[in-house]
Amino acid sequence: MLLPVNKGQLSGMLGLLLLSLSFQSFGQQTITISGTIKDAKSGEAFQGATLSTAGRNTFAITSNEYGFYSLSVPKGRYSFKVSYVGFTEISADINLTADTTIDWELASSAQLEEVVISSKRKDDNLRKAVMGTETLNMNEVAKLPVIFGEKDIIKTIQLLPGVKSNGEGSNGFSVRGGGTDQNLILLDEAPVYNASHLLGFFSTFNSDAIKDATIIKGNSPAQYGGRLSSVLDVKMKEGNIKDFNVTGGLGSISSRVSVEGPIQKEKSSFIVSGRRTYADLFLKASPDFSDSKLYFYDLNAKANYKINDKNRVYLSGYFGRDVLGFGNTFNTDWGNTTGTLRWNSILSAKLFSNTSLIYSNYDYNIRIRNNETDFNINSNIKDWNIKQDFSLYANPQHSLRFGFNAIHHTITPSTFTGTVNNNTPKNGRQGLESAVYINDYWKVNSNLSLDYGLRLSAYSILGGDTYNIYNKGVITESIVLDKGTFGKTYLNAEPRITANYRVSDVSSIKGGYARNTQNLHLMSNSTAGNPTDQWIGNSYSTKPEIADQISVGYSRNFNNNNYEFNAETYYKSMQNQVDYKDGADLNTAADIESELLYGKGRAYGLELLFKKKTGRLTGWVGYTLSKTERKIDGINNNEWYNARQDRTHDMSIVGIYQLNKQWSLSGTFIYNTGNAVTYPTGKYSLNGQTVYQYADRNANRMPANHRLDLNATYDLARKGKKGKYESSLSFGLYNVYGRENAYTITFRDNETDPTKTEAVQTSLFRWVPSITYNFKF
Amino acid sequence: MKFKYVVYALLVMVLTSCEKVIELDLGDTSPTLVIEGNITNTAGPYYVKLTKTVNFDDASIYPGVVGALVTITDNAGQKDTLTHTTGGLYVTQKLRGIIGRTYFLTVLSEGKTYTAQSTMAENVLFDSLRYNPFSFGGSIQHTVIPVYTDPITVGNNYRYLLFVNGILDKTYLVDNDNVNNGKTNERPLRSNDIEIKEGDFVQVAMQCIDAQTYTYYFTLSQAQGNGPGGGTTPSNPPNGITGGALGIFSAYTTQTKSLVIP
Repeated sequence: MLLPVNKGQLSGMLGLLLLSLSFQSFGQQTITISGTIKDAKSGEAFQGATLSTAGRNTFAITSNEYGFYSLSVPKGRYSFKVSYVGFTEISADINLTADTTIDWELASSAQLEEVVISSKRKDDNLRKAVMGTETLNMNEVAKLPVIFGEKDIIKTIQLLPGVKSNGEGSNGFSVRGGGTDQNLILLDEAPVYNASHLLGFFSTFNSDAIKDATIIKGNSPAQYGGRLSSVLDVKMKEGNIKDFNVTGGLGSISSRVSVEGPIQKEKSSFIVSGRRTYADLFLKASPDFSDSKLYFYDLNAKANYKINDKNRVYLSGYFGRDVLGFGNTFNTDWGNTTGTLRWNSILSAKLFSNTSLIYSNYDYNIRIRNNETDFNINSNIKDWNIKQDFSLYANPQHSLRFGFNAIHHTITPSTFTGTVNNNTPKNGRQGLESAVYINDYWKVNSNLSLDYGLRLSAYSILGGDTYNIYNKGVITESIVLDKGTFGKTYLNAEPRITANYRVSDVSSIKGGYARNTQNLHLMSNSTAGNPTDQWIGNSYSTKPEIADQISVGYSRNFNNNNYEFNAETYYKSMQNQVDYKDGADLNTAADIESELLYGKGRAYGLELLFKKKTGRLTGWVGYTLSKTERKIDGINNNEWYNARQDRTHDMSIVGIYQLNKQWSLSGTFIYNTGNAVTYPTGKYSLNGQTVYQYADRNANRMPANHRLDLNATYDLARKGKKGKYESSLSFGLYNVYGRENAYTITFRDNETDPTKTEAVQTSLFRWVPSITYNFKF
Repeated sequence: MKFKYVVYALLVMVLTSCEKVIELDLGDTSPTLVIEGNITNTAGPYYVKLTKTVNFDDASIYPGVVGALVTITDNAGQKDTLTHTTGGLYVTQKLRGIIGRTYFLTVLSEGKTYTAQSTMAENVLFDSLRYNPFSFGGSIQHTVIPVYTDPITVGNNYRYLLFVNGILDKTYLVDNDNVNNGKTNERPLRSNDIEIKEGDFVQVAMQCIDAQTYTYYFTLSQAQGNGPGGGTTPSNPPNGITGGALGIFSAYTTQTKSLVIP
């Protein structure tokens, strides 16, 4: 089922936009109140804090990602409420006679002992036209059990319905049937091309440096684009503008430390955060591995400077590296580098501008030295990205986002160099990905709100290489593109709309449609995510991937908004999906495109989420029933087959319990159907060796996975001692009942009886205990 | 590239892991014809073996297919009808394997026709076998390097059979000149089956194979190392045989060198 967008629909949408904007005519004079909402203690801006008026005609606005808000209301006296969950609400009576700027600072509510599982207003889920979206703040993430005691935003996101981990320990995830590469992972707006360390056991996000993270499962507003399945928007802390803080943690496998503070009080601040694992120190203790290296580190740094009340600049960067090696023989390292220079400007009380210049790089190097041989393999992807985004708070009914984005990509495929081993030099390929967008958030009336917009995206192949077109691996045409010339440009219109209708005080229904496109594709033949996996851009054979998703949902709150129930169902159709032919050689083939095949995909499912948001016990139960399939020309006799990440059932239960002032306990339980895999159905012999016979692709299942993890945190600071020093001890046990979840299943000849063959399951991680000491002063 | 497996092996060592034999219900397979045919540049006769696949859970005893009509022709007019000896083994009568010629196999069995073809690749001189020890994780790994100089033209493919004290190593060892074209080979043979020790007698048979045979064995090698998360989705390797038979028909040159590990 496809939802083609024709010109009529497009102009219809634009018409709707223009029409809705013309509603601005008010009988009376309107006044705009604007400013920022932030944390009184650190000065960190709040995204999603709410400013609302009491009374019969309620006006409300939530702050944007830089804490800015703007609300236009008829002239008059109002009692305003400013709230952000976890912070004490401020009330103020203000007589608005002229445009007013007020910055609000909220203090942390001292009596709040329990963890609150929503950073938003309590009934936001009923009010807003957002679908498939969850925001996590780090306080929630911190209390959940994780492997090795290393709190991890991606591991927590994998506990939400519709988001599936690629495998035990993996940081790769699949959203609503999409591939790992179909998630747009942003760190301060910079795309992160490989979000995992150590093959996925850790994510690249050091939780101490992170403010919050939002995942949007396909129905993203028009300012986001470039990936099919989801957006994971991770924001770094700005750094405490009032006081110096040192936070850190000593763990059983890694340690981290962050320093933040003002450079000039109330004017500029910084944060520097570092993390390193030290498993290699244990390795060194063993004589067999005395010369081996195995570690990663990452460094986050950010500074900001308030030029004046209306202008602020931010500079943030991330640098992370995995290093692995044995003496001089084999050494490899890989990692991401990102940098964001951002300029916030309040152009008027209603118009907010953000301009960003973003750099992103991912590369890997492998060096093999073997007596006289010296051999290197490397590859990288490098982006320069400029973004201009405007937020226009036109009137209480309409909030607009519009802007443009242009990314210059340089992708250098894996190249072999060295004293003896060389392949034909491969040229780096360049592409220009650009987009313009407009999005309007329209509160039609107190019950109905619409979030709709249009993104026009383009990808141009830039010259400097020869592009081959293949038919089943055979070259049919070669296109030589000179440096400095433009090759083919792919244009796509991506309309998106989400509607929310509030049925009653406690329930709402939602519906949405979104088209997303993707111009970069990750070439990986394993699901765990390999540092050597390569990205490729569109070419003459590889076309932009397109996904159309429709979704319908229902939300209901119970017990004074303390409990929340959400149900969403979706159908997604995907075009121009990429897969590899049987026997593909992704590493050494002269042109990786000779190894590719193309086809389509479909995914559908039902997601249920039940949350308890306040009280001593908080948490959620999530369940997903889903199906995801691919149909690729040249695979599985051109029939539909299960995608590897197809899992029928996926359930997670998350609970956090505040036992007393010192102890908080938490637990997670997960259950999911095993991945779709291909097992042999038969066997034969070739040159005396057993070879397996396969039938339909991914027609078999790995055994189901389930696991219980527990964590207990003991707060040392609350032991009556007054002072700035806070610390806690966290004890974790991963896989409490020692379930042997299958990591891989392989097949081999029985050693004692060579006429028999057997299946062998390998599992990792039975009972992994961890202790982490966290501090802040 | 075995990079992934190195990392994997290290992680598995560092972390806890356990391995156990499990029971899986793999169902029944439809018995499929398997063709294993080789033509070499050494004197005949050459053999084509016809067997059938069996269920995974059955004993690894493969029934020979008798009563088939097996013929091989080449692009220079040779034609040979093979005769059945025993257990599905068919033997050539007069055919000669000559470098550069293309051989066509036709099998008529149980009313179905299967065809395959293979071109005997240019022979690249196998100079010698070189001992290549290196230190890996604190111990010495003994490997050997087949020494030969790849021709300057692109498209050479190699397969190696590694015998340690007369036992064939089960690793599928193939290389092509996507890397190292026109250079003297420096790539050691990395086994994940037999660990070579001091004093071992190592023989290597180097075969110059065509691209199709390379793809066949490369695919098997990919399925062999099931790395993190399960690795490449396995499939029946592409083999160019029409009619739906498994196996491979390959014309290749072969040379053997040996050494004793010091």
